[in-house]
Amino acid sequence: MSENAIAMERTRPNIDLTDHAVTLVIVCLVGLVMNTVGPAIPLADGFVGMVVIYLITMVGLLLTRFAPFYLPSVAWISLVGILATLPWTPGSEWIVEQAKSVNFLALATPALAYAGFAIAKKEIEVAKHSGWKLALVACLVFLGTYAGSVLVAELILRLQGA
Amino acid sequence: MNALRGQLELWRLHLAVIVLGAIAELIGIQKIPLGIGAILLLPLLYAFVMAALMNPNVMPKFGKFIRQKEVAAASPLIVIAIMPFIAKFGTTIGPAIETIIAAGPALLLQELGNLGTIVLAFPLAVWGLKMGREAIGATFSIAREPNLAIIADRYTLKSPEGTGVMGVYVIGTLFGTFIFAILASLFASADIFDPRALAMACGIGSGSMMAACTGALTEVIPSMKDEILALAGASNLLTYATGLYAGLFIALPIVEKLYNATAGKNDIATANKKEA
Repeated sequence: MSENAIAMERTRPNIDLTDHAVTLVIVCLVGLVMNTVGPAIPLADGFVGMVVIYLITMVGLLLTRFAPFYLPSVAWISLVGILATLPWTPGSEWIVEQAKSVNFLALATPALAYAGFAIAKKEIEVAKHSGWKLALVACLVFLGTYAGSVLVAELILRLQGA
Repeated sequence: MNALRGQLELWRLHLAVIVLGAIAELIGIQKIPLGIGAILLLPLLYAFVMAALMNPNVMPKFGKFIRQKEVAAASPLIVIAIMPFIAKFGTTIGPAIETIIAAGPALLLQELGNLGTIVLAFPLAVWGLKMGREAIGATFSIAREPNLAIIADRYTLKSPEGTGVMGVYVIGTLFGTFIFAILASLFASADIFDPRALAMACGIGSGSMMAACTGALTEVIPSMKDEILALAGASNLLTYATGLYAGLFIALPIVEKLYNATAGKNDIATANKKEA
């Protein structure tokens, strides 16, 4: 269960684009249900927004597959999303407006549900085997990484006086 | 359309995700007040817990509807399901590009703040809990996939260092979203830090950690929602770019030197005694 698994591969993975295109339709439809149920965004608005998000994702995947240099798919998708919504990009205002009809937390809900279903026997075993010591260390790893980033960012922002 | 047929054969999985997800969305965001602040519970957390409870590996008795076939299929689906989420985050960065550029130096340098794990976790692991070389793998990073790759490459995952990084990886996978939701809730309600700093720090981990972290932040500080999403998204993108190198060239060498200079000496002494 690894959402960054693609990033781990050093060489370009051979993405099956048709397979991804179909699976993404299903995932986006599931996301659309969440978007309508939770944040109560009108279905028609959410639908157009989701089509925009789908297209951004697919362009990102096309680039992952065919760009002259390799970047992980999440990086390409993110870059396409950024480029499509930069103030200087023609039509960006419309894209931004549509994307606003998609709630980011509603998109995360199905991803985490899949993650819950994906827990493997081995992961349960590792968690049990590692015991409370590693669990405690892990909590401090997360706290330390988060707090360290907050402190450095805070310091620089204050120095900048921004 | 083989791909479509393949997905339709997984109807149990997708149906279960829709039902559990919808229930989670209906419960909505809940606040648990604590003395110093409040902890936020997000729909994505309920969705994960409910799905885990239907997972035959977690609850063998309930493994009727979801079978091992669905479990195996769910893993690659996480990667796909997170893609629209990443695209959505991208669309929040573009319009905020001026905010991002203004925060550029902080955004870049906060990546170094990730070394905070060494400051906090390493002493506890080595001196507090008397861990061996597991401590190296466990404390040098937040243990997401690129960091697993570093340890796998250098020590293999079966080594003590590999055990350490795998342990933190699995705990992060199982509880990372909870830990990040709690961290962000507490930091935000403490009201000491610049929300922009809290947002940038949300980007240090995986996509779902970022979701939990920004979800909690935007709930506490709704007036800055757009800025928070943009900065967290930009920081996360940066982590993809720099995470591997920072881990490989900075964090891991530091932890190795620290270990060899402290606990490692005892290891050598014990080894010598055994030989003698």
